[in-house]
Amino acid sequence: MQQQEIHQFLENYFQANGCEIVENEKGYMTVQLTIELDKELMNRPFYWHYLEKTGGIPNPMKLTFITDQNASPEDIKGEVIHFGSPRLHQIFESTKNLAGYIRLYEKQSLSYGQQAALRPWLGMNLKISYQCDRKRDVFKSIGLQLINGQVVENFHERLLELQLTPKIPDYSFTLSPLIMPKSGVMRIENQLRNEIEVEDHTWAIEARERWQKDLQLLEHFYEEAEEKGESYENEKKALQEQYEPKVKITIVNGGLFYLTEQAV
Amino acid sequence: MAVEIEFDSSWLDGFFQKIEDDGPWGNWDLYKLAIEVEKHTVIEDFEGLQAPKHLPNLTPLPHQIEVAKQVIENMNGKAILADEVGLGKTIEAGLILKEYMIRGLVKKVLILVPASLVSQWASELTSKFYIPAVAQKKSYVWEQCDVVVSSIDTAKRNPHRDIIFGLDYDLIIIDEAHKLKNNKTKNYEFVQSLKKKFCLLLTATPIQNRISEIFNLVSLLKPGHLGNETVFYEKYKRDSRSLNDDQHLKELVNKVMIRNRRADTGIEWTERHVETIPIQFSAGEKALYDAVSELRSEDNWMATSAFSVMTLQREACSSREAVFITLKNMLNKKEEPSPYFQAQIESLIEKVQAVQMNSKAEKALELIKKINDKVIIFTEYRATQLYLQWFLKQNGITSVPFRGGFKRGKKDWMRELFQKHAQVLIATEAGGEGINLQFCHHIINFDLPWNPMRLEQRIGRVHRLGQEQDVHIYNFATKDTVEEHVLKLLHEKIALFEKVIGDLDDILTKLEFGNFEDYLVDIFGHSTSEGEMRIKMDNLNSMIQLAEEIKESESSAAAGNSSIS
Repeated sequence: MQQQEIHQFLENYFQANGCEIVENEKGYMTVQLTIELDKELMNRPFYWHYLEKTGGIPNPMKLTFITDQNASPEDIKGEVIHFGSPRLHQIFESTKNLAGYIRLYEKQSLSYGQQAALRPWLGMNLKISYQCDRKRDVFKSIGLQLINGQVVENFHERLLELQLTPKIPDYSFTLSPLIMPKSGVMRIENQLRNEIEVEDHTWAIEARERWQKDLQLLEHFYEEAEEKGESYENEKKALQEQYEPKVKITIVNGGLFYLTEQAV
Repeated sequence: MAVEIEFDSSWLDGFFQKIEDDGPWGNWDLYKLAIEVEKHTVIEDFEGLQAPKHLPNLTPLPHQIEVAKQVIENMNGKAILADEVGLGKTIEAGLILKEYMIRGLVKKVLILVPASLVSQWASELTSKFYIPAVAQKKSYVWEQCDVVVSSIDTAKRNPHRDIIFGLDYDLIIIDEAHKLKNNKTKNYEFVQSLKKKFCLLLTATPIQNRISEIFNLVSLLKPGHLGNETVFYEKYKRDSRSLNDDQHLKELVNKVMIRNRRADTGIEWTERHVETIPIQFSAGEKALYDAVSELRSEDNWMATSAFSVMTLQREACSSREAVFITLKNMLNKKEEPSPYFQAQIESLIEKVQAVQMNSKAEKALELIKKINDKVIIFTEYRATQLYLQWFLKQNGITSVPFRGGFKRGKKDWMRELFQKHAQVLIATEAGGEGINLQFCHHIINFDLPWNPMRLEQRIGRVHRLGQEQDVHIYNFATKDTVEEHVLKLLHEKIALFEKVIGDLDDILTKLEFGNFEDYLVDIFGHSTSEGEMRIKMDNLNSMIQLAEEIKESESSAAAGNSSIS
């Protein structure tokens, strides 16, 4: 993420959370937190607890972020934000936290007297991690139509082209799903499993070889010991944790989308 | 080929709950942002380092990046980092740790370092690497914090021990790991019993150790890598002096160890210019030195302590203030001083008072004016430090004091004052690692420590990575005193000042006669004649030479063998 992207990201994050951006200049910005976001980011539960008990006037904090030290004026005091900074990662986490689940309806311009039928979709964004003593990730966005079971990849990209709203638009109605969300999720899970199983798993084979090799060394080391003892067991378990190849699928976010027939 | 696939179901429960409760649902803009974030934090390749991208305030050197890559990609995260002193092993360890944390392979980390370095490690990881490392102070820290720095001595004691054994660590880092060379010690057993997925052992002096020490160190990291004990010692002689006896063994060790030598890094080191400044005592100073030296012929003095006579002699070469403080302490410490002892001390104190000037200080002043740039003066004695500060002020030169005992914040503050406002820094100690004085390139050794490593540390504060100019070292030595002898030995025989840090380290380990300083005390304190002293000095010289020869033949054998994967 470039510094400018970070600046843009912060702007979007705070706006999406209803915070007033007091100052927004090249290289820095000052934000007035809302009460909710103060609680989310500032980690001061005692203050809020005290305030609620005493009925005082809440005073959420104002924060200044410096996204480019060279461009911002020298006398500006604030937190320097870069890709590795803990604050940015806290905000990343918070973003995911606050937007885990969603339900949206497609809005389209209807001519007089027309009615639009919206079809239910289950959308899921996932991260697939291939992990042994090393790790790589793949991001996937999958959509499943809950009536005919059609599956679509890069679902999120398609959604970005549509006009979506949280409330069902006038003169639109939703069709009932034939596939329940629960079994929808299972379909997606199964499809992913099938896909992953036929992938090239050289990485996992190699990791198992490394594991096996170290395991043999370990056996050899304790060969003559009568009582192998706890440290042998520890080492053995540690080797498993170090090398055992695994694929982990985590869900970033997802939800229900009601879309017109032309949408996907 | 079946690979286990885990499907994280924690999201699902929330999802079904929202459907049942008909909300509340998230905000579309945030939802889009969350996906953007995820796409930015996804790492698509097994290979390559992510960490440097996350560390805008740190520019790792090429060899440090290479080490991090090697350890992660070829050594599976278990390695002995054995770069020569001063090449940045801490940075390498930090890079590896950061990389694993970014990739989500490491969460729980235990860092065991010498007690004196605990807070420094914690603060470096926090400030340079943005890793929230906590110096262990309370026992709840073990469980509640993910990255904990502690000393082994604390960690191995209960209640800590039991808590730590109950935890699974993803990564364990041990600094100064050569201290774990003996597998019979409590510390060794402790480390062996830790549950660790990845492990880094940091040490500067592994190679010249006995073969058994190497075996123990490697077995801690990767049990069985060098075989089991019986087989190993059948194959290799237990007392074998060095690894180079066996090419195969060396290759095996190099699979788990990375050692960069200064010469391999391609970093240009600036020159050291060493100058000995001979000092002529004034009449008063000479009288004091002689009076102190005469104590050696007094039976009751020599019997009690050759050491205090030596100390007084050395102090007399530094400042009368230093002698005075020691004399006063000696008198105070005796519970019932004999009248003779008392009289002796008093007569010495009179000699102290008779000294009118400090020849070294005058010379230092002259030199500082001539240099007309930042200068660090090192002295062994607090009293001399105070005197010098006063003396320089009288002569219109600004100075700041520096002591090892200062708290971290004060050290940084003093360094800042020196950099911005004062011409001279007067230090009694190398002042702990991590204090960076590269902006200065003149050092005056007002008096000499007898431990060559401490001398090296003094110079190392200034002559280190990042120094862009040649470094000038001025050694003060008073004529016809022990000081002159010691300097000769250090300077001419060991050629100490020309060496860069690691070499000296190697040589001293090779010598293996224990404490260098004790040796000097023996030579100068217990020799009854000039002749005996000369013989002992020659003896020491030849030992040093021998050690150097061993080292040379080793390094020619080890040429091109620096970081083998």
